[in-house]
Parts: sequence; structure tokens; C-alpha cells
Amino acid sequence: MTNGSAQLEAPTLDLIISLQQVLYKEARLMDQERYSEWVEMLAEDLHYFMPGIETRYRRDETDQIGDQTRMAYYNDNLDDLKKRLRRLETGTAWSEDPATRYTHLITNVEVELSDQEDHFRVYSNFLAYRNRNERDQDTLLGNREDLWRRKGSSFELVKRLIVLKQNILLSKNLNVYL
Amino acid sequence: MDTNLIKKTMGFNHLIDINEGWVDRRVFCEQDIYEQELYRIFARSWLFVAHESQIPNAGDFVTTSMGEDGVIVSRQKDGAVKVFLNSCPHRGNKVCFADAGNARRFTCNYHGWAFDSAGSLMGMHEEYCYDPGDIDKSTHGLKQVAHVDNYKGLIFANFDPDARSLEQWLGDFRWYLDILLDNEDGGTELIGGCIKSEINANWKLGVENFIGDAYHAGWTHDSGSRAMNNGEPFPPVDMENSFHASINGHGWEFGLEGMGDLVLLGRPKVIEYYNRIRPDMAKRLGEMRSKIFGSVASASIFPNISFLPGISTFRQWQPKGPWKFELKTWVIVNKAMPDDIKDEVTRGVMQTFGPGGAFEMDDGENWENCTTVNRGVVTRQEKLHYRCGINRKVDDHPVLPGLVYRGQYNDANQRNFYQHWVDMMEAPTANDIPYRWEPKFSGLETRDFAGLNDLKNGGK
Ligand code: FES
Ligand SMILES: [Fe+2]
Repeated sequence: MTNGSAQLEAPTLDLIISLQQVLYKEARLMDQERYSEWVEMLAEDLHYFMPGIETRYRRDETDQIGDQTRMAYYNDNLDDLKKRLRRLETGTAWSEDPATRYTHLITNVEVELSDQEDHFRVYSNFLAYRNRNERDQDTLLGNREDLWRRKGSSFELVKRLIVLKQNILLSKNLNVYL
Repeated sequence: MDTNLIKKTMGFNHLIDINEGWVDRRVFCEQDIYEQELYRIFARSWLFVAHESQIPNAGDFVTTSMGEDGVIVSRQKDGAVKVFLNSCPHRGNKVCFADAGNARRFTCNYHGWAFDSAGSLMGMHEEYCYDPGDIDKSTHGLKQVAHVDNYKGLIFANFDPDARSLEQWLGDFRWYLDILLDNEDGGTELIGGCIKSEINANWKLGVENFIGDAYHAGWTHDSGSRAMNNGEPFPPVDMENSFHASINGHGWEFGLEGMGDLVLLGRPKVIEYYNRIRPDMAKRLGEMRSKIFGSVASASIFPNISFLPGISTFRQWQPKGPWKFELKTWVIVNKAMPDDIKDEVTRGVMQTFGPGGAFEMDDGENWENCTTVNRGVVTRQEKLHYRCGINRKVDDHPVLPGLVYRGQYNDANQRNFYQHWVDMMEAPTANDIPYRWEPKFSGLETRDFAGLNDLKNGGK
């Protein structure tokens, strides 16, 4: 993850709070499966990326996070993501009925100005809890690095890098957005 | 391997009857049966351990499991590949913790025994503590797997010193494998990295799903099909012009329409690409195989590899006890593809058959529940129905090798998979495993034959 922002000004408290609120709203929409509203928060030029993470030795120079030609859980533009979401609207996504219960916790929010006007780098951590049927449950934890762009009185998500802290995904699927 | 462990007679014939068409659920849940699978199947089968492209350079390695035995697959200076146990002969510690990388040495963390990339013991920490006669370093390397061989880029290994050759193991299934592995000059490669996930289901459920279960696709994957293909349901199958073919427990189910799987990948550029190379593919592999490519199809290599030619997902179901498997997912592409097409394929695969894929998401849920219900001791005594299409055998198909059945909605490949499972569970040695399909292409390059009817001409 790059950080060329040493010389940039500090963000205002207002900006920090507004962006924090945006992240919380996003989490709430996901918890409530209000995906069509979530999609409204995404930019036309979205890149939504969650690389697969292999276990490798420290000396290994493979760029597991930056190299986008490698295997990734998500490497989506807006259309790709909409396609995935379309599955839920069909009414025949059997494994989603009964519904999964989700809670997203978003923490460690850090806002930075970027060198592009009206674009803000936002770091955060997430904990996504899922529970299905009787006792089927799992927890996904990791870091995110976002780029948000000012849009009218709010913001839209332009880039999201998600680094999940699991080597083997310790669950049968990924029916959750992070 | 201790053959006493294998000979300990349990008897498995009563668990399956493919002529009646049923399978006893205990094969999906009982610990004793599972343990015997590890000895009789995984320790005696040719198992996929790596693709050539994962370890191109000397010192490159990947780690994987053969059954539940952890191994290191390591490229040698002379280009050969060695496969050895990932367990130190001193106290047994694992010697390599990475999924992949490049190493000149594997040094054990416990007492510092060091092994080279061939697995030989090179030296140890404080070596002076061993007196002359305490240890012969030349016999204390990492245990080598008995056989390693390669079919068109796929590297297989076999623990069993008495194993048949890889060519015999694959048999005429090579003719089908060429559709995936040899449809264009240059062969295939795997995209970098591997996605692993854990599913609380018996490993055989994944394999049998890919070996023949086209039937589930229209129902289970209605949502996925509509998501990927503009609201359209799963394409209808043509029961006259689609088939199951099974050889030595491997199987391929397929249509001949040439497009179904490609459409489900949801990537127009990939379709264009294949349309461009298809005439050459027809020259290379013959008409029949160029039509199988890209059709609604799925396949498994016994015991635990599966793939979708056209959709390009390539995967391995690693057993982790009767109730759990680890699924390793790769993307397989032709080396000759332009980078942007490789990228399109990779994205398409992860949108369809990654853990977050529009199709994959609904599968794991089914397999988990097919497995966990068997915790009930009454439930597990109920036999499962595998009779679909039992009377649709096609004898003497002029082109297609193997045990061929008409209509891709069929349980034929699944029945033959379980027949081979029983055959191996019962066989005292590898040479006692019966051939249910006598090989016709022995010693021949299968690429050069458009089909069985080509044999008399000696190829195209
Ligand atoms: S266990 Fe490996 S050096 Fe002792
Ligand atoms: Fe499926």
C-alpha cells in the first residue's frame, strides 16, 4: 500500500466525520441487504478488489496485493459487481433463503487527502459476521484501503482494496461484500 | 506403505450397486471408510500435485497434500520434478510452511536439519553431536514419493511403488483431456495464486458433481445463470446430442453445441477468442472434440481433480476427514492467449466459480447439507438413488471412447466413479484394479486421432 501523502494537509474534522458516516451507512446497507442503495454509492469507474493471499516466506518478492493478474476473490468493475448482485434478485438463489444474518463492524477509520482534488484515501478495518440457518457462522476480518470521490453533497467509492486475513477461506462461500 | 493396513479386510462391495443404481450413504460419513480411502485410494492413485507452470525455474516449489499427506513439489536444476514428504525424518516437524516459492534449502525449524531442493539431507545444526555410525545422511532425506510423471503440463505423483504408469492410469481419458490441455499450440498454464476454501462436506460430493451432474445445474444454478446471462435460465440440454463418458473412474459429461459454458462465463471477448481459434482446434483435435469444447460440460479426473473446459476453472477437492474438504481453485488458460484474454477468463472464473461466484455459492451449501444429515444413524442407512439414465448406454459409439451414455442428464459417470472407487477399495494391489474400458490408444498420441474410427487409419 502506498502512502505519498506526507506533505499533504491534514483533513478537516468535518471531512473525517463525513467519510466515517459514509462507511457506517455502507455497512448498514450491507447488513440489511439493501444492495441497490449500496450500488448508488459506487462510482461508474469502480475497482473493487480482494486478492487471494498465499502463505509465502518473507524473502519472497511476489506482489500478492498489487499484482492484479493473480487470483482474486473480487477483481470487479461496477458491471461485474452488479452481475453478482443480480443473482440475489432472481428469487432462485436457494442458498440465500432463509436469509443470511450479517453484521459489519467498521473500525480504525483514517482519512487522508490525496493528490487528486476531491479524492480521499480512507483506511479502515472490518469484521463481518455471518450466521445462517441454525449454527452456521463465520467471521471475516481484514483491512480496507479506499478511494472516495466527492459527489454532490456526499461521496462515491472509486477504489477499494480488501485484504482478508485468511489463507484458506474458512467457509464455504463468500456471499458477503466487504 | 504397510500393506497389512491395506489388506485388513473390510469389504466394500456391499456399499454400492451400480447395476441397480444406488450408493450407501456411509461412504460419505464413516471414519473407518474414510481411513481406508486414504490407504487404498489416495496412497495408490496418481494425484495431481502441480501444473508445470507453477514451478518454471530450478528451486521453485509448491506445497500440497496427497490425501492428507503433506508434500513438497520441487523443480530440480536439470528440469525434473521431485515430490517428497513435507515432514522431517528427525522428529517429524513440517519443513516448509509456504504455499509456494523458491528455495535452495528446506531447513527444519526444530533442530536445524537442512534438506536441498531434491529433499536430500545436507547437514544439521551442531553436527558434531552425532558420532560416527549414528546417522547415514544419505538415507535420511525427506521421503520421496515413488512416482512422478506429467501429462501435458499436469504433474501427477503416486505413493505406490507398484502403481501402473500414468498413461495406463489415465488410459483413453487422455483423448478427452486433450480438449482442455492441448487445444492450441503451447499448451496451458495456471494463473498465479490459488484460492482455497473449506467446505464441511465429503470430498466425493464435489468430484461426483463435476464428473456428471449436469442435472443440478438448471435448478441449483438458476440464479447464477440468470445473473451471468442477462436474465436467461440455464440453457436447455439436447438429450440426443449430449453424453456421459467414463474411463477408469474419470469422467466427462458434455453437450456438442459448443457454446453453453462459454456463455455462462459472461465474457464476450473470450467467446470471440475461441470462435477465432475453433477452426484450428477442429483441425488439431477433430470435429467432435472441437464441438465438445465450450459446450455445457464438466469433468473430473479420479480421484479428486475437476474442471470446466471453456469456463476454465480447475480445482482439487482435498479430503480433510469424512466431513470436510478443502477446495483449491485455479484458473487454467492457454499459454498462447493474449494477456487481455487471460485476464478476462480469470475475472470470469472468479465471478462464476470462485467462492464469491454466482454459481459456486449455491453448490457448497448443498454439499454441506448432503453430508451433515448423515450424522443421523438412521438417515445414513438410507441408500441414495443413482439410476438416472441407466438404460441409455451407447455401445460401440464410432467416435467416443469409454463407457458412453446418451443424454447429459444422467448418473452414468457418477455410477462409474463409484464403481472405480469400489474397485480400488477392494483391489489387493494396483495391478488388480480391473479395466472397465480396455484402452484403445495405448502408446499413441491421442491428439492425432479424431476418434475411435480414426484408429484404423492410424490417425488424422
Ligand atoms: S524435527 Fe526436524 S530437525 Fe528435529
Ligand atoms: Fe454446481
